[in-house]
Amino acid sequence: MKLQEKPVTVNNAAAVPPRLEVTALSKTYGSGPSAKCVIEDLTFTIGTGEVVCIVGPSGVGKTTLLKCLAGLQPATSGTAAIDGRTIAGPPAEMALVFQDYSRSLMPWLTVRKNVRLPLRHLRLPEAELNQRINTALEAVGLAHAANQYPWQLSGGMQQRVAIARALAYRPEILIMDEPFASVDAQTRFELEDLCLKIREDFGMTILVVTHDIDEAVYLSDRVVVLGAKPARVLDVVDIDLPAPRDQISTRALPEFAEQRTMVLSMIRKPA
Amino acid sequence: MNKNLRPLLVSAGGMLAALALWQVTATGPMAGGPLPSAAATFVQLAGLVANEAFWAALAETLVISLAGLTSAAVVGVVTGVLIGSFEPVRYATLAVLEFLKPIPPIVILPLVVLIFGPTTQMSWFLVFFGCVLPIIMQTVSGVHDADPVTLDTARSYGLGRTEILARVTLPSAMPFIGTAMRVAAPAALVITVVAGLLGGGPGLGLSIYQAQAAGDYPVLYAYVVVLGVLGLSFQGASRLAERRLLHWHASYREVLPA
Amino acid sequence: MNRKLTNWALGVGTPFLLVAAWWMFSENSTNTFFPPLGMILERFQALWLFEHFESDVMLSLRNLVVGYALATVIGVGLGFVTALMPVARWALDPLIHFLRGIPPVALVPIFISLIGFGIEMRLVSITLAAMFPTLIATVDGIRSVDSTLKDVSSVYRLTRAEKLAQVYLPAAGPQIASGMQVSLQVAFVVMIASEMLGSSQGIGAMTLLAQQSFMTSDMWAGILLLGVIGFGANLVFEVIKNKVLAWYVGSKRLARS
Repeated sequence: MKLQEKPVTVNNAAAVPPRLEVTALSKTYGSGPSAKCVIEDLTFTIGTGEVVCIVGPSGVGKTTLLKCLAGLQPATSGTAAIDGRTIAGPPAEMALVFQDYSRSLMPWLTVRKNVRLPLRHLRLPEAELNQRINTALEAVGLAHAANQYPWQLSGGMQQRVAIARALAYRPEILIMDEPFASVDAQTRFELEDLCLKIREDFGMTILVVTHDIDEAVYLSDRVVVLGAKPARVLDVVDIDLPAPRDQISTRALPEFAEQRTMVLSMIRKPA
Repeated sequence: MNKNLRPLLVSAGGMLAALALWQVTATGPMAGGPLPSAAATFVQLAGLVANEAFWAALAETLVISLAGLTSAAVVGVVTGVLIGSFEPVRYATLAVLEFLKPIPPIVILPLVVLIFGPTTQMSWFLVFFGCVLPIIMQTVSGVHDADPVTLDTARSYGLGRTEILARVTLPSAMPFIGTAMRVAAPAALVITVVAGLLGGGPGLGLSIYQAQAAGDYPVLYAYVVVLGVLGLSFQGASRLAERRLLHWHASYREVLPA
Repeated sequence: MNRKLTNWALGVGTPFLLVAAWWMFSENSTNTFFPPLGMILERFQALWLFEHFESDVMLSLRNLVVGYALATVIGVGLGFVTALMPVARWALDPLIHFLRGIPPVALVPIFISLIGFGIEMRLVSITLAAMFPTLIATVDGIRSVDSTLKDVSSVYRLTRAEKLAQVYLPAAGPQIASGMQVSLQVAFVVMIASEMLGSSQGIGAMTLLAQQSFMTSDMWAGILLLGVIGFGANLVFEVIKNKVLAWYVGSKRLARS
């Protein structure tokens, strides 16, 4: 297949130096005859300040990939590297927003204390600490809910708390695992725009895993398309849509339809 | 395979190490003292197993525990259903039950011994008293918890009071009663031992008291080992029974509803 | 509204009615087992509030509080070690579960044989017997901490101390608390048992002594005091628990409604 052999990321790699580099990454659970290969030979890069989405059918091992990138699980072979340094444990410059917000927030802490928890060991001066927390909560529009508990909030609000926690941590690379999968459509649009705003305001490199192709096209500079089990890169699609993006006008562009059709056909194609 | 074996080996090693530590302490620094060696204890344990009096005491302990538990279950469920079915009664008894619940039966042991003497009835009554309150309270919660929609439906179909009780209220209270029984069964054994040890009631509790009073330490330890095994079997059996009997229930609960 | 008021009145009124009935029916009682309530209360006042307050009541309570506190600290600490170190868990699990099968009160004769009849024996008995429910609940609680929470702590590079104190401890908190509540019951029972079995001091010893010498009013006074302590200790625990675990109580209530 021609598509697969083309050297991925050539265009962008020239323009933006790679920040996150995944090389021939594989992950196999178990060993011997019962071994289950979840990821096979993944290679792609993400440049500084890019928003990249990984799409693929559900159950394809996207979460496993993120766990390898976040240093929560070792890869079986191949490497993931930040600025050329191989990731061996959770990197300091990375934050992760988990899919299941109801389980990723501490129910015994108020919203504000949830956001504060990862900052404690950074030993920041009190003023900066508070400023960071306030900025993050304002960015996600939750300043008014700072003293409530997560379980008192709606699902969308809880996920925004998780995002605020990541923001206050000021990571250079933000990874999100199907962050908007379990919120209603309206909230989803809001959170998508929030994601783009974060990139503008904080200059973060953002990697989003999603199974929603529209969302991937809308958010990304590039979309990494994964194929079914075991996960491997089918193609990397550069998304050429004007900035700033807008939920109504961007999605109405003919290019938008074109690009989403392209990604969709790639996923639907039998491997 | 090897990996699965390791926890087992470490567990066995832990047990052996504990036994070895016991043996070494008893024969070394504490030799001649009140701590019998592990070996001596197990010799006595073997002796007990061959002893008819031991089996009699064991049987008495089991009979008292189970008799107390059964009578508490019957009385507790009936009383609980009655209290739970009538709201004014529920409110009237709430404070009284809440006050009595955290009071363990050992508190009334002196009175019960005074009335019954060191007898089987005394032990049985203590077990009954200790088990009946939690069963009543759980049954009341269970009856109270019955789905009002189901109750209304049953009523609209013209089911009578007893029918509703048998088909709706009791089944919905079953998991609560099951939980209460699971907690009450090991408690029944504990109370039987307390009644024997402190009140002179027949059974293993009394045997322990006699061994201690006589300074027969290896026998004392052997009895405690027996009680440990017995306690574990009570816990295991009641948990198994609850799971077997209630696995069908949609609201089957593993944790005690608070 | 009216019905609510009636129910409330019933809840509050019944206990008073029962006490009043006890008072009236026992007033002229000549039954040796059931002396008049008035006489019991008189003895209660004489014994516990004055004569034996320092020597027995305070002694029992001190043993209970100190033993229980030690049991909690050791139980939670050992629970953490056992839950977080696989080797420790494999090695200790069978032992812990065997020891927990032993009725707590049956341990008292063993400690009497080892340490004698002193206060140390009572403290050690209370501590060791009450330790197991907390220990086992702590192990279970920590082992069931949500894996997502563990991942979150790793991604945000929480220090080990932070993970233990800020994540594992509160996450296991509800389970630890229910274990601690059982421990409190056990501590109370063992406090009484250790006094009844091997001592002439303490509320339990006094109560048993009164029974053996057929001073029924004194015995009743002891039962009354022990009942009040048992109820009171549990009440204090509930109040503290609901305060510390307010987040848990709140989220459960919200989930139910």
